[in-house]
This record gives sequence, structure tokens and C-alpha cells, in this order.
Amino acid sequence: MKRFLIGLLLIAPPAFAQSDGQWVVEQSTLTYHMSHPMHQVDGVSRAAKGKGICHAGQCDFLVAAPVKSFDSGDTNRDLHMIEATRGAQFPMVVVRVRMPQSEIGFATIFADLEVQFAGQTAHYAHVPFQRTARGDRLTITGTVPAACTDFKIDRPSFLTVPIKNEIPVRVEIIWRPM
Amino acid sequence: MKQIAAMVALALAALALTIANPAVLPAQAPTAMLSGKITDGLGKAISNAKVTLKDLATGESAEAQCNTDGAYTFVNLAPGDYEVSVSTDALGAKAAKVKLEAGQQQTLDLTLAPASQEPLPNAPAPATQEPSLGDLGFTPQQTQSDAKLQAMLERRTEMLKIHQRLGLIAAAPMAAALIIGPMAKAKGKNGQPITEPSSANLDFHAALGGTAAALYYTSAYYAIFAPKVPGTTKHGAIRMHEALSFIHGPGMILTPALGIMAYKQENAGEKVHGLASAHGAVAWVTAGAYGASIVAVSWPIHWKLWEK
Repeated sequence: MKRFLIGLLLIAPPAFAQSDGQWVVEQSTLTYHMSHPMHQVDGVSRAAKGKGICHAGQCDFLVAAPVKSFDSGDTNRDLHMIEATRGAQFPMVVVRVRMPQSEIGFATIFADLEVQFAGQTAHYAHVPFQRTARGDRLTITGTVPAACTDFKIDRPSFLTVPIKNEIPVRVEIIWRPM
Repeated sequence: MKQIAAMVALALAALALTIANPAVLPAQAPTAMLSGKITDGLGKAISNAKVTLKDLATGESAEAQCNTDGAYTFVNLAPGDYEVSVSTDALGAKAAKVKLEAGQQQTLDLTLAPASQEPLPNAPAPATQEPSLGDLGFTPQQTQSDAKLQAMLERRTEMLKIHQRLGLIAAAPMAAALIIGPMAKAKGKNGQPITEPSSANLDFHAALGGTAAALYYTSAYYAIFAPKVPGTTKHGAIRMHEALSFIHGPGMILTPALGIMAYKQENAGEKVHGLASAHGAVAWVTAGAYGASIVAVSWPIHWKLWEK
């Protein structure tokens, strides 16, 4: 009986990770943080959508959000950000992740991200994400250490002073099985 | 006995070298060495991939298995032309040619793109597909590139930058005109003529007011005629900034008009009277609204004075 319980405990948490399947984003919050000597701004998007496909021990995840969907609380600043990030020409920010299916079972997932934004592609290796499971839902939270230079973005300026190069993006995504 | 032991040890060492990792192709001395790393499109090491090295001159081939870091090594190779190939079930195959020189240690890294990005000729269809943007259900309006809109946004930003700079510059002569305003009188309060420098002050005040007005109107032009982005609902500090312009805008028309009237009355030796006497008060209200409109968009919004 004891052996059975131990076996069950070992199998149960990553059980979802052991079988082929598909996942979709149920809810998402992406928040970029922008620093300027006079302003600390957070731009939030809740419009991200995503899908994950796990097959033969490998998982591919895709998450995308319209650049226009980020709201920093001021229309003028948002339009300036869209302009600076070439958001009309490249309207989507797209993140791709490929990882072994076994890794999804861990509480901390280290993911290699491919991010397409502003017409450029940047790679971020070994980015830690926290994973929590509630029922069949999975919540993934973490921060992508993005920077303007990664995407060849001319830093937006205010009162002739540009923002800081770092624009970390906080990610909180709830996945549900399809 | 010692000789036999030594020979057995040597044979075992050679066997271990062959079995372990570095693959060996028979060669005459001096030899070359080839090593490298196999990664996927994201730069992640592919462990346990099988790498094949083919001698293009002899047709002989050798195999090596990548370690957990995706690294492979072939040692004791004859100089010449080789083909290195690697294949995995998930990411397909890749091959590259390499020329090895005697005594050289050459490195050749290979990157395997996902099968969907780099299809192999006659390869079977993959068992599963990577998710694509089309799977996510965004509307074409959301995903479609709009170069015209991008150009409009760039023009808008350019014009608003000019608006911002001229607006800030205009604040300086405006403030100076306000400060010297009380001194800009040809006559004292009771109608007595006052000293000559005050007449100079009057002219200086008029010049400052004129400069502020010119900068203000130019700045306003760039804001008013900056392209409007269709479908945008304004919110945030910009609304307060614009609302205040309904005070300082008319104020910047009225203030100079009343100022000219006051200037003429002063120069005619009259005490400023009638509508012209409101010049100072209107100027202060205008400048106040103007200052507030600058603060509205530049106040450090993260400074929360009510929180320590």
C-alpha cells in the first residue's frame, strides 16, 4: 500500500506532461515595465492567446499578443510606444517555446524563448518560470528580461530623455487542456 | 608477463577510447580531429543525437553519439574531405562538408531547424504540427501589417516632439513676461509719470509676451495638426492636458489683445482702464492653465505623495 502511494505521488504531478495533448491559454496578463527618470510605467495586455502541442515527448508552445493591446494608462504614451516598436508594421509580439515534455512537470521551468517583436527575433535562454497547478489548469508566471536593443528599438524619449534600455515583461498565463 | 599485461592494458585503453565517445576513423599519422556541437533552432543542445562522419575519398564512415551537452568528437582522422551528418526524429537531418588538414583540430557546429521550417525532400509528413499564429484566432485586422499607419504614427510622433519642445521653450518667456508685468507701466498707480526704465520694461514685457505667443501658436499648430489615429479613444493624462488647452488657448488670444489695448492706453498717458485692465488677471489664469497642462503630462506618476 505504502509503495502504491509513493508511486502515485511520483506519477501524479507531471501526469499531464506524460501524454500527448494540446493546451490553450485561458487567461493571460503580460506587463512590460518601462523606466524613465520621471516616470515608472507599466503597460498591461490581457489579449494574449496561445496554444501548446505536446507530442512524442516534445512540447511546442506559441503565445502571441497584439502590440496595440498594451495599455499603460495613457493613450498618447501607448501610441508613442506603438510607433517606437514599429507596432503598426509588425502588429504582433510572438513567443515560441520548445521544451521536453518531462520539464513541464517541474515547479520551476527553465525555458528557451524565441521572441518576435518589432520585426526582430531575440532568443532568451534558460528563463525561469514558476508553474502552479490548480485542477487541470496550469499557471505559468515569470519575467522575460527583454531590452530595447534586443529588438533594435530606438528608445522612446520624454522631455528629450530616453527610457532605460531594459523593458522586462512579466508574464502570467493560465493554460487549460484542449 | 609484464609485456602481456602492458599489451592487454593498451588494448583495453584503445577499446575504451573507441567505445567511450570520440569516434575514430583509421588514419595514418599525422592525423586531424573534428569536434562540434549539435543544437536546435533555439540554440539548445540536442543530446544523444547520432553524428555520422563520412570520408568522401574512401567512402568509409564512422559514427559518434552526442553527449548531454550536444557535443561530439571524432579523433585520429586522416586529412581530407569529409561529410558530417546528423539526424533526429523530431528535427530532421542536416549535413555539412568539411576539409581537415593534418594536425588540425577543427570545430563544426550544426543547427537542426524544426522539420516544419526546413522540410526534407521526400520526408514523411510530421506526426504533429507546431502551433501557428493562425491557430490562435486573432482577426486579420489584428495581425495585418499596416505600413501606412506606421508612417502616420512616425509623422505624429515627430510633430508631437516639436510641439513638446516648443511648448517647453514658450514657458520661459511666458514666465518672464508675468514676472516683469507689474513693472511694465509707463505711469504709476496714481497716474504720476514714473522713471524711464519702466518704459523700457513696458517694451521688454511686450517683446517677451510677443515671443511667448509666437512660440505658443507654433507649438499649438504641431499639436492640432498632428495626424489623428483612427479608432483611438483618448484616456489618461492626455485628456487633462487637452482639457486645459480650452483655458490657455483662448487665454493666449485674449492676453495679447488686452495687452495691446493696455500698451496703447499707457503710451497715450492714460491709466489702463476698461477691458484692458483685465490683461494681468487673464495672463495669470492663462499661464496657470498652461503650467498645469505641462504638469499633467510630465508629473512623475509613480511619485505617490500620500504614500511614504
